[in-house]
Amino acid sequence: MNLILIPIVLPIASALALLFISERTKYLKELLAIGAAVVSLLAAANIFLQPPPDLTLRWLGSWLAFSLHADNLSAFLLLAVSLFSAAISVYSFSTPNKGPAKWFFFNLLMTQGFAAGAALSDNLVAMLFFWEGLLVFLYTFIALSQDNHAARRTAMKAFLINGVTDLCLLVGITITAYIAGTASMSEISRDKLTLDYGWSMFAYVLLMIGAVSKAGAFPFHTWIPDAATDSSASFMAYVPAAIDKLLGIYFLARASVYLFSLNGTMQLVLMSLGAVTILVAVMMAFVQKDYKRLLSYHAVSQTGYMILGIGTLNPIGIAGGLFHMINHATYKSCLFMTAGSVERQAGTTDLSRLGGLFRAMPVTGVCFLIAAAAISGIAPLNGFFSKELVYKGTLDTGYTVFFLAAELGSFLTLASFLKLGHSVFFGDCPEGLKDAKEAPFSMLLPMTALAAICVAFGFGAELPLNWLVVPSLAGMNIPNPTMSGFHLDKLYFVSLIVILAAVINHILGLAAGGGKASKASDHIHYAPVLKETYALAERRAFDIYELGMDKAVPAVSRLLFKADRFFDWVIDTAPSSMAGFLGGTASRFHNGSYPLYMALTIAGAVIYILLAGGLK
Amino acid sequence: MDKGLLAYLLIPLLSAVIIPFAARSRARLADILANVTLLAGLLNLAWLALRPSVIAGGFADIPGDGFSLLLVGAVYLVGLCVTFFSAWFMEDGQANRPAYYSLILASVSAMTGVVTTTDFFTLYVFIEVLAVTSFALITTDESTKGIEGALKYFFLTFPASALIIVGISILMLSLGSLSFETLRIFMASDVPPGPVTFAAALIMLGFLIKSGVVPFHAWTPDAYQGAYAPVSAHLAGIVTKISGVYAVVKLATLLRFFDGRAAALSEMLMFLGLLSIAVGALAALRQKDFKRMLAFSSISQVGYIVLAAGLGTPLAIMGAIFHLVNHATFKTVLFLNSASLEKSAGTTDMEKLGGMEHSMPWTSWTSVIALLSTAGVPPLSGFWSKLLIILALWEAGLRGYAALALLFSLVTLAYFMVMQRKVFFGKKTQAAESAPEVGAPLLAPVVLMSALIVALGLLFPYFYAYAKMVAERILL
Repeated sequence: MNLILIPIVLPIASALALLFISERTKYLKELLAIGAAVVSLLAAANIFLQPPPDLTLRWLGSWLAFSLHADNLSAFLLLAVSLFSAAISVYSFSTPNKGPAKWFFFNLLMTQGFAAGAALSDNLVAMLFFWEGLLVFLYTFIALSQDNHAARRTAMKAFLINGVTDLCLLVGITITAYIAGTASMSEISRDKLTLDYGWSMFAYVLLMIGAVSKAGAFPFHTWIPDAATDSSASFMAYVPAAIDKLLGIYFLARASVYLFSLNGTMQLVLMSLGAVTILVAVMMAFVQKDYKRLLSYHAVSQTGYMILGIGTLNPIGIAGGLFHMINHATYKSCLFMTAGSVERQAGTTDLSRLGGLFRAMPVTGVCFLIAAAAISGIAPLNGFFSKELVYKGTLDTGYTVFFLAAELGSFLTLASFLKLGHSVFFGDCPEGLKDAKEAPFSMLLPMTALAAICVAFGFGAELPLNWLVVPSLAGMNIPNPTMSGFHLDKLYFVSLIVILAAVINHILGLAAGGGKASKASDHIHYAPVLKETYALAERRAFDIYELGMDKAVPAVSRLLFKADRFFDWVIDTAPSSMAGFLGGTASRFHNGSYPLYMALTIAGAVIYILLAGGLK
Repeated sequence: MDKGLLAYLLIPLLSAVIIPFAARSRARLADILANVTLLAGLLNLAWLALRPSVIAGGFADIPGDGFSLLLVGAVYLVGLCVTFFSAWFMEDGQANRPAYYSLILASVSAMTGVVTTTDFFTLYVFIEVLAVTSFALITTDESTKGIEGALKYFFLTFPASALIIVGISILMLSLGSLSFETLRIFMASDVPPGPVTFAAALIMLGFLIKSGVVPFHAWTPDAYQGAYAPVSAHLAGIVTKISGVYAVVKLATLLRFFDGRAAALSEMLMFLGLLSIAVGALAALRQKDFKRMLAFSSISQVGYIVLAAGLGTPLAIMGAIFHLVNHATFKTVLFLNSASLEKSAGTTDMEKLGGMEHSMPWTSWTSVIALLSTAGVPPLSGFWSKLLIILALWEAGLRGYAALALLFSLVTLAYFMVMQRKVFFGKKTQAAESAPEVGAPLLAPVVLMSALIVALGLLFPYFYAYAKMVAERILL
């Protein structure tokens, strides 16, 4: 068997095997899942180091081969997917609130297998197959994580939003394959498509919608904050924080630089989308009062940096986008893990009821500090370097406004993490949390591992860049960008200014909020114009899903109902009443009257004879 | 006259003559004689046509044109079912018992004559014999309704005899011979048809009246409904089909409609066929009486055969032949079951019947099979014949006809659904409560026929081979 199949087949087979394990067994399910994830990670590492030959299976005729191809980018992505799967499966060993263990690990392994398949597929149709499979498990993941109505509602929301955008992806892939004459990505890339005419433009936009919606960009992000409250921290750390970002950005990069060669307009569209995503989501994140919900908005906001980076279309920006993708997955997973352990130990994620946990949970606290510093772009952690690359790429395009937007996002990110960290780990400890303890080892292990990666990718930023990002770019035929490690240029000083501004803002906010850290954002939250905007946003007035469900869906379903009645009438009521009328007439006519019958017969015979005799 | 099949004509005739004398003192002897005669004939026929070697040879060894043999088989089969059914259905003290069997055998004999003859005058003679026996049979139970039906049958179809005889005279004048072969050769030649087709059209009109095609159908509902119960099965199942529809199909092949000769007549025939399908089906929708609904359904089904005959292509002729046979099977089942219902529940009014499947399961389920076959539900035999007809229409480019034929097939299903719900399914009514299932002897014929419906459907490839052989022999 080709090694390339193991990361796909092993998790799926293990997931199916899980279903046969009795609910009463202890640890067996967890150990099976961890084992499968770790073995897949080893296989992925092997694939990364020694790319195996392509696997091509004939499928639906010659132009639709089921082909798996591990080029540098795919292998990189596969490694990341497997790493996070292994980390989360270890982390979930003892997390409560994840729903039935059997179904949690079933969903986790299925997601892993399908994500690995999507990463490795060279054929667009095969990729779509895996991609759509993820949608199914996204739904079951959320719906089975809590046994209440809210979880099912959010699951449906996630399913519908992603279902619609996946449909866009399907149409996009169909058009792309039709235009290019092949569905194989490596064959398309040999002769890239251009956006010169309408259909290819349309196809690219559809592919882009599919990709950025998977990554959770504005305006397709609205299910993520809901999932933060209605599902488990493990799910948040795994799917929206890691897998979705990885796959979405992976495919955005593939579509934008590997399959199509974009023009200036599309560059502007992508960069605007990135900047808007950064700002909108971070504004929302800043005012959140819940640990996981705050993190979830950051998960959206950070996507903006990656889209911005890829949207620059220059090697440095793309490298920054990809590097930010892996960095973000690392620290955001780590942050959600800290949220999960705080939730487990303190019993709540409400910021106003938390505080001073650093003393009780030092390891979690340190991990949080590292990851929060990384996401805020504080040198020399990994987030700083990837953001720096994105900034540099943005500046190179000449659109300074996007650079400013990104820096503003950075400022708000840091400000919100100051508020978060302050209110959870520092300050006064509420009465109920005096006897809180540190989380168990199985939760600390993956958390510290990810925090360690954040540090390692920061201090040794050369390493991931040279091993992961540059080969990926080379695999996509992009010239080797000149990238540097840490140096004291003006970007560094800008970042210092941002840090300073955020700290000042935090102190101001504390003063305005009466010294309560959880109220440190209120001076912005309740500022004159923003107050009304936030109120609207809290009422989900800007959520396209809710808008659609409230306004468009009832109208459309009423219309469809009317149409359905009409078709019913056409195929049922009208024919049966007509048949009834004719039948009634016919049976009334046959009244047994002999003269009538005779007249009919004779009249018929006369007409017949006249016609037969040649009368026309 | 096809001499190979002459015995099938003469032996029942002989029995018909013997029965009144033999059964003078012991009335039961009449039943036995009639049944034995028909059963022997049927077994003989089965030996002739259904030997494994014959089937394996693609029916190449069948004597004559095959069409006659098939129809003789159908005549004997329906005749046997009816006589067997009657033997247990008839009241013991019924006075005219020997006469009844005698008449049935005479009509079987006449029908055999009709299907084996090879000239128009003999055909006319046998048709008249058949008509006379039918009038008498309808009035077997001497009810007023029966007499009314018989009279309507007589008066409304007597113009047919007149038209046929006029047509035959013109044919004799213009062609000089009355044999089928002469007409066929004449139609195949390039001689301008002139009065010949007109004569054929007159003969055709006579047979159309006899087959109950709209607008000459008015006698059928009253005759079928009023007739003595087993006789209605005999009449609807085979007599009117042989005395009318068979001759129409035969004439259609002789006139070589597929050649485009006599195109006007062909078109008219198709139009009348479609009209029958439509009027019969629509009128059946609103009937309140089981037997009357069956009668209208019969008009509609005859329409299919006439439509196919009017088209005249080999495929259509195959469909027509197959549908003729199928019609004999399912209509016999339905009418015999209506007789059982009448005997057991005392009525055939659909408003009074209901939930019969609980008290009369065999009767109900055999009826359901026959109904589904009539409506053309696969894999029953009725599906295949309708499929052949509709396919033939489609192939000939008559899309509109094909679509309408299909549509009214749905209407057929609709009115039978209505009937099933009202009569066999649903809640038991008072009539059903006190209606026991009829005895095994009364069920045997319908079960046999139902089995045949299923078998013909499932063994369609064999039947197709037979029908193909027939179509080739009579058309080429």
